[in-house]
Amino acid sequence: MESKIVFGKVETTSLLIIVMTTQLFISFPRFVAEKAGTAGWILIVYLTVLSLFLFTIISKMYKNFQGKDIIDIGEYVGGNIGRILIGLIIIIDYMFIAPGVLREFSDRVKIITLDKTPIGFVMLFFLIGMITAAFYGIEPITRFSAIIVPIVAAAFILIIIGIIPNFNLTNLFPLMGSGVNNIFIKGIPNVSIFSGISILFILPPFLNSYDCFRKTGFYSILLSGFFLTVGALIYTLSIPYPASTEFTMPMYTLARTIDWGRFFTRIESIFVFVWAASAFIYLSIFLFFIVYVFKKTFRLEYYTPLILPVSVLVFAFALIPESMMRVFQLESQIFRAYAWIVTFGMPIILLMAALLIKKKKGAVPNEKNS
Amino acid sequence: MECLADLKKFLQNVFLFKEPEEKEAFILEETRQEKEELIEETRQEKEELRSTDSKKGGIISSFFSPKGKKEDESDELEEVSKDINKNLEYIKKTYNYPDNGDLIIREFKVVAKDKNLDAFIVLFDGMVDSNIVDSHILKPLMLLSNVEVKGKEKDLAQYINNHLISHSQVKMTKKMNDVIEEVNFGGAGLFIDEIDCAFACDVKGWVQRQVDKPITEIVIRGPQEAFTEGLRINTALVRKTLKDENLVVENFKVGRRSKTPCALMYIKDIANESLVEEARRRLNNINVDFIFDSGELEQLLEDSTFLPQPQMLSTERPDRTANMIAQGRLAILMHGSPFALIMPITNSDLLHSPEDAYVRFPYSNLFRIVRFVAVILSLLLPGLYVAITNFHHEMIPTDLLIAIESSREAVPFPSVMEILIMEFAFELIREAGIRIPGPIGPTLGIIGALILGQAAVAANIVSPILIIIVAVTGIGSFAVPNFAHAFSFRILRFVYIILAALTGFLGITLGIFVHGIILVSSKSFGVPFMAPLGPRTSDGVTDKLLRSPIWKQENRPDYLNVQKQRKQPKISREWAEREKKKR
Repeated sequence: MESKIVFGKVETTSLLIIVMTTQLFISFPRFVAEKAGTAGWILIVYLTVLSLFLFTIISKMYKNFQGKDIIDIGEYVGGNIGRILIGLIIIIDYMFIAPGVLREFSDRVKIITLDKTPIGFVMLFFLIGMITAAFYGIEPITRFSAIIVPIVAAAFILIIIGIIPNFNLTNLFPLMGSGVNNIFIKGIPNVSIFSGISILFILPPFLNSYDCFRKTGFYSILLSGFFLTVGALIYTLSIPYPASTEFTMPMYTLARTIDWGRFFTRIESIFVFVWAASAFIYLSIFLFFIVYVFKKTFRLEYYTPLILPVSVLVFAFALIPESMMRVFQLESQIFRAYAWIVTFGMPIILLMAALLIKKKKGAVPNEKNS
Repeated sequence: MECLADLKKFLQNVFLFKEPEEKEAFILEETRQEKEELIEETRQEKEELRSTDSKKGGIISSFFSPKGKKEDESDELEEVSKDINKNLEYIKKTYNYPDNGDLIIREFKVVAKDKNLDAFIVLFDGMVDSNIVDSHILKPLMLLSNVEVKGKEKDLAQYINNHLISHSQVKMTKKMNDVIEEVNFGGAGLFIDEIDCAFACDVKGWVQRQVDKPITEIVIRGPQEAFTEGLRINTALVRKTLKDENLVVENFKVGRRSKTPCALMYIKDIANESLVEEARRRLNNINVDFIFDSGELEQLLEDSTFLPQPQMLSTERPDRTANMIAQGRLAILMHGSPFALIMPITNSDLLHSPEDAYVRFPYSNLFRIVRFVAVILSLLLPGLYVAITNFHHEMIPTDLLIAIESSREAVPFPSVMEILIMEFAFELIREAGIRIPGPIGPTLGIIGALILGQAAVAANIVSPILIIIVAVTGIGSFAVPNFAHAFSFRILRFVYIILAALTGFLGITLGIFVHGIILVSSKSFGVPFMAPLGPRTSDGVTDKLLRSPIWKQENRPDYLNVQKQRKQPKISREWAEREKKKR
């Protein structure tokens, strides 16, 4: 049935935007403030350009392997061992992301509204949504994200409009923040903020054509970069450095400052809808792709039996960190430092190897995807 | 023990993996090649089904087959006999004559080609038009057969058919079943001695309701006709609206014993062929004894039984049916039901009122926005109230918060219990109000609600603000144009209340997410239910949530994959173009 599922450009772009911009609602603004000070927005612009450059390289090489995902290319390069190796790397990468984000979102919801509720109960709610969506498959998740993205974007714009009175241009200075070296040299590994693009490298069997793949990647990075830049910018404009490195929930803090007359004073809870919807889609996507990649790697017939066991694993891993700050530390010091290796490094090396092999062997055999 | 086995099976299905069935759901195909492939597959399936049906069980299975007369055992007279006594005997036995009090068998004689032949006519009293029977069948046969007719037919049956029966709808048939079916449905069966065929005459004349105003879909602007229980009247109502020679009305019989006539209506050069084929396949493969209403037919045809939202639109308006058929959809009409079934539909179609097409652009869009807000209120308002009062107090302005808390101070129940009590009471009043006859019904409902609400507030069972919440929720559900769609909100509202009581806005978001995922994955006759929002289709759809001006609606809905996408040119108001040229 998967060979019959085909997504359009809008749907795929929406999916990738959700994956890459959901971090805006957790710790991303604080992270860029820590890395680049008042120049956080410059860092994001730089990283967007860098990501576009890296994606252009990858997409050029992908042209020779239309309709094949990264696992198929791993099999082409290294046979069964290559396929399993690539698959396991992706699974481990996603098993790091999903529990981390699950824990972060659950902690934040607990802080906002459910302070007396056990963290496991809050995580269970997210888990129910993830499991239900994973059972239905990638098609409904993608279509639903196409419906939700405009609503999330509208809510984000509302936040921006609401906090305009708090903007202070002097907060942008010094313009280069923590320094050119920190932004343009040491900031390169932070291209991991676009690690969500790795989903696109698993999506080719679901896409119409190579053109769809290329344009989707390009537009999703561009739009995500735009939203992340604006998010970093408004955070810096509203809250001066170094105070901006103190808040655990930057966007929530910004939303709390919205004050429209006497009636609309504490409306930040409304944005819980948007953030939670975004989190549900994000987590569902990763749960689905963990089981899908597992199924494809080990050539299983069905992926649905894997959903419940993997969900239990995700739940268990999410409970390992002692606190939210430990999760944030793991994310910023480990994940953001090394995720670019899996997202950009691995596809580039793999595609280069595949191209070399292709030149020696000839055309790629026209196999059906399993 | 059976219950335990069922429970075990249910638990196994939930916790252990159940291999999916190999049957593939219908997908509305776009290209001709895909359509042809699908049609070929379904034809092969039909042939396989027929060949398995024809296989009889072996010796062992015959030991376990039910003893006694089987329905298809050959005691039947399959073909009309030349001996009229045999035919008469068979008819009497089939219809349990004389136990059946309304069956009439009139024996008489016919003179044809110098022969004095015995004949009889069989019909049901009350179902036929006796004027037609007397004037156009009995009279010519009994009286006018004595008049010399210049007929050259050698065959007696042809001679009688051509010269002696002056009725437009007569079918000569050699099969007994054809006659029996016709008699069962208000026709008359005519048998004549020495002729091995019978005459099945369509002389329906039962008393039925006349074309009246719609009851469930009342509009201010627009036609005021509604379907009745007669199939031919209904198909005529649609045909006289469309007046298109390509409008096809295919006849089906649903129900092995009731053989209820149904009609599948579509426009041949617009509707997607694979969609028509799929509708035919589903109608031909319903295996029930009796069927009584289009509501039962809808349940037998729909894709998902457990989805709260309906997957077919039921309407009693011929104009709306014609409008839907003109867009490329199909309509199924059933004898005995004043509701037509339209398929495929999407979620946005369920929010459209029949009046939207007839009122001007600003009003129709305003009504749609109001309806959309009504849907949100109907579904989410009680849940939002529970979430805000329990988890998100900070959202309420302080003055309002004090007012709410002071009114709730004396109420012993938590807000979720209050809501559930009042919602249940409202549902009780609504349900009871339908059953009370005459003009007392709605009045009693209103008074009951007012008194009940006021008494409940006075007794400190509920707070006053809750009455407003429940009332607004109820009014919101009445604003939904499709009553089946409104039913779904009545059910889901309770789910959202419970989710909100558990975790506030997070619970409501979980509900919206799961609800959205289920809706997006659902299909209505191969069309995704949330089209054109998910999946996104091309910009040909100008009637999603808001409606474009009529002169801008150039294309039919893209998700229907119709044969003719374009329904009007870019400049449909040619008079405006001519005005510009004059200037």
